[in-house]
Amino acid sequence: MIKNFFTTTYRHLWRNKLFTVLNLLGLSIGISAALVISLIVYYEFSFDTFQRDSDRIYRIVIDANFNGVEGHSVGVPAPLGSAIPNEITGIEQTVPVFQFQGDATIHVRIDEDHASKPLLFKKQKDVVFTNNDYFRLLGYQWISGQQSSALAQPFTVVLTQSRARLYFPDLSPTAVIGKQLTYNDLTLTVSGVVGDLDKPTDFNGREFISLATIEASSLKENFMMDVWDDWMAYSQLYVKLSANQSAQAFQAQLNTFYQQHNTERGKDITLSLQPLHDIHFNRLYPNIGGRIAQKSTLYGLMAVAAFLLALGCINFINLTTAQASQRAKEIGVRKTMGSSKRQLIQQFLGETVVMTSVATVLSILSIPIILRLFSKFIPEGLTADFMFQPGYLFVLLLLVAVVSFLSGCYPALILSGFTPTSVLRNQVSGLTGQTRHAGVRKILTISQFAIAQFFILATLIVSQQINYSIDSDMGFDTGAIFKFDTPRDTAETKSRQLLHTVQSLPGVELASTGFHAPADRGVSFTTVSFHNGTEELKPTTQIRWGDEHYLDVYGIKLVAGRNISPGDATNELLVNEQFVKEIGFQRPEEALGKFLNWNGNAVPIVGIMKDFHHQSTRSSIMPLLFQKNNGSTFHVRLKPNRDGQSWSHAIAQIQKAYHGLYPDEDFNYQFVDEMIAQFYEHEQATASLLTWAMSLSILISCLGLLGLATYTINTRGKEIGIRKVLGATVGSIVQLLSKDFVKLVVIALVIASPIAWWAMNSWLADFAYRIDMEWWMFAGTGLVAMVTAALTVGSQAIRAALANPVDSLRDE
Amino acid sequence: MIKITELQKFYRTEEVETVALNNLSIHVKAGEFVAVMGPSGCGKSTLLNIVGLLDDLDNGSYLFNSIEVAKFNERKRSDLRKHNIGFVFQSFNLIDELTVFENVELPLIYTKVPAAERKKRVEEVLEKVQIMHRRNHFPQQLSGGQQQRVAVARAVVNNPKLILADEPTGNLDSNNGNEVMQLLTELNEQGTTIVMVTHSEHDARYADRIIRMLDGQVLMETVG
Repeated sequence: MIKNFFTTTYRHLWRNKLFTVLNLLGLSIGISAALVISLIVYYEFSFDTFQRDSDRIYRIVIDANFNGVEGHSVGVPAPLGSAIPNEITGIEQTVPVFQFQGDATIHVRIDEDHASKPLLFKKQKDVVFTNNDYFRLLGYQWISGQQSSALAQPFTVVLTQSRARLYFPDLSPTAVIGKQLTYNDLTLTVSGVVGDLDKPTDFNGREFISLATIEASSLKENFMMDVWDDWMAYSQLYVKLSANQSAQAFQAQLNTFYQQHNTERGKDITLSLQPLHDIHFNRLYPNIGGRIAQKSTLYGLMAVAAFLLALGCINFINLTTAQASQRAKEIGVRKTMGSSKRQLIQQFLGETVVMTSVATVLSILSIPIILRLFSKFIPEGLTADFMFQPGYLFVLLLLVAVVSFLSGCYPALILSGFTPTSVLRNQVSGLTGQTRHAGVRKILTISQFAIAQFFILATLIVSQQINYSIDSDMGFDTGAIFKFDTPRDTAETKSRQLLHTVQSLPGVELASTGFHAPADRGVSFTTVSFHNGTEELKPTTQIRWGDEHYLDVYGIKLVAGRNISPGDATNELLVNEQFVKEIGFQRPEEALGKFLNWNGNAVPIVGIMKDFHHQSTRSSIMPLLFQKNNGSTFHVRLKPNRDGQSWSHAIAQIQKAYHGLYPDEDFNYQFVDEMIAQFYEHEQATASLLTWAMSLSILISCLGLLGLATYTINTRGKEIGIRKVLGATVGSIVQLLSKDFVKLVVIALVIASPIAWWAMNSWLADFAYRIDMEWWMFAGTGLVAMVTAALTVGSQAIRAALANPVDSLRDE
Repeated sequence: MIKITELQKFYRTEEVETVALNNLSIHVKAGEFVAVMGPSGCGKSTLLNIVGLLDDLDNGSYLFNSIEVAKFNERKRSDLRKHNIGFVFQSFNLIDELTVFENVELPLIYTKVPAAERKKRVEEVLEKVQIMHRRNHFPQQLSGGQQQRVAVARAVVNNPKLILADEPTGNLDSNNGNEVMQLLTELNEQGTTIVMVTHSEHDARYADRIIRMLDGQVLMETVG
């Protein structure tokens, strides 16, 4: 019987190639999107799930509240890690993980005896300081060296196999033991080699320096190894609790213990336990150089996948039920010959499983291409191989089952419900063409176009908002200005010399040193207060630093007072208009000369800056201070490109001067307008994703519409013939055939518009400065959808209208 | 074999109720060849569908081999149908996606006959209707007469006790029509009961008995 079913299925699909291709395409697009998205989601949610006892592993983090401003840090006071095993009960393992300061990278040098010059690996990432427990906690496989003692001594380092191969490509893991590597000025001996972790993890260490090295070197002071009331994000601490230890009780013990060592400065701090499964998703605690996945984005992606999959299923249902009359005779005959309804349902569901499986195979084959095409959405480390994980294979089977069920159920019930007497009397076209089944098809087509139009609207509004944000006036100049960093901890004379050189270049209009640009990725807060005679006002305030040229480089205007003075004086401040308002003055001039309590000193306000955006336009403008400081970041305003001398020439000259002073450092610069555009990276990724979702949803909907139109027009051949005989023009027939479909698109717009309005209004609410949703966006969306539908249906309608009526009437 | 008493069948739309069969009673003995005749719309095909358990009756009794089948549910009807009744239609009703062999094999699949036995029986019956040489062809590759021979082969492959034929020669020329009637006669001679709806007086003459219908009722019966 099964063979008979498959034979019929295969021949039916082959005979109706157009419908088969349309069905397969619709399903494949939906399934491909679902597969890739489920791959991403599965990958993200599998981070650090492979560790044994992962429910007992926590990172200790800091939650703080300073004057009502919440703060969070992944860093903890450095001595905590060595103190708690002896002071607190319920710990099975304590694993401090420290990173090099700055951007957590380091230059690694190998001085080989026979080499003419040392091998240098610049900016090596994933180098951490830790102890032997790190490897036990994460279940590393040891390849060479002693696991129990590899990191017991100072100046030892354990490498992963990939790093061992990188540094010593000709040596076996055993031969690597005892080799020396120099990390900046620390010379370390390799004491072990471990296998790389091949599962998704946020523990991305590849080189593990013994923690004892910090204690035994000048790093001890840098890492504040004895300081209890300060901390840096570079010193993290993981614990594995004992089997019966409650996290709550442990946290209480931990805070009691910490407060014993703490000073006044740390009184607003709570140490919290962050579960291992939360580390990959919690934006409050970002790793340095790590990546945080956003659950909201993943849920959004899942919604897109569900929509695209639904569109594919709707297509399948529409096309299959539209074709029902072609299957009717077969159903009638099978029933007459003794087939039960259940057997027919099984047959048609089986056909759907076959179609879904073929579409899934096509989708699987296309995954490597899709992953390459969408690389900017794909999390680092995710490759097509990941889909062969047993867990994901289960997802794959589930997907086939769900899609088959959703797509196949309704058509199977409709088809198997035909009565043989109606079928064999040729009354099926009446049953499938105009009655409630046609009504269901209309509802499904409306749903498809409602989804497509939702995506069109969302794409339009997100793009408009991004353009608005990027193009909106930040309150300072962004064009032709770039910034670059110079190494910290180098002699200030070098920096001065470089600034002098840069300022003298013909392509440079002005240069300044400082730290952040007016609007920057980093946020710097400061604590400042003003006593207005009755109370101490403490506005939450951001701070920027720069020399006396900083304001001119960025074209920041002063609305009152003067700029900071040249020279080294730091006892004066500029504030912005918002700050003036928050300390209770109506006019900027009123704040001039007033003293602020800042870092324990009374410092005068000498100038008031016009407000500018210090973050993306998602945030409101906050109070801001500007202080004189010759920082390590250069801000360079280039001359307008009028005299033919290109900016690249000026940048090349600056690079040359930079390398003259810092020969071992890389020169990395960034234009400020590019950096501002990056504020909206997430939104741009959303827009890009929406554009794809929109295009695919339109494509799938049009495929469905094309199939439906083809079918409808074919069944109306006689009507078209009679109308032509009676004198109808081609235009009137095209109009007649197209208007029903266009009507569906209009209804879909009426449904999609309020939903899109609500959804996009919620999305826009995150922006302090946002666009208004205009009527033309909705009208434009409707127009695009109608034109697309009209073109899709029109091609078939014209074909039908131009056909010779004699043929259709003779056929009848 | 068939005893139908006071059968009523209505077709209802929102506004109109049409009486298709009105207190109709017929009796067909095993081994009989009965032709049902009458003008279009008199209820011949409806009667045949009810006899074939493809359609419900609204009132009355239907005994098939002395068993009351009027109230049978779909599963029981399907079961009775596939083991006892073969159908031949005016428009052949072969499945376009299946070959001649596969079409004829279909009833045997539903009665769960093993594959080897199926092959043997299908080939036998195809030989009998002289269409064996076309066994791998699809219906659309055959002439009308050949298609109807396949339909007859499909109707008899399960050795049914009863064959219901709805205008079996309606779409055929006279030569092919005669061939099909000859086939049905042979089957009847071998013991199969045949009930045939026809417009053709010529075809009706092959039957033992002719039932003439008008407006859903039996008008008269003549013995051939």
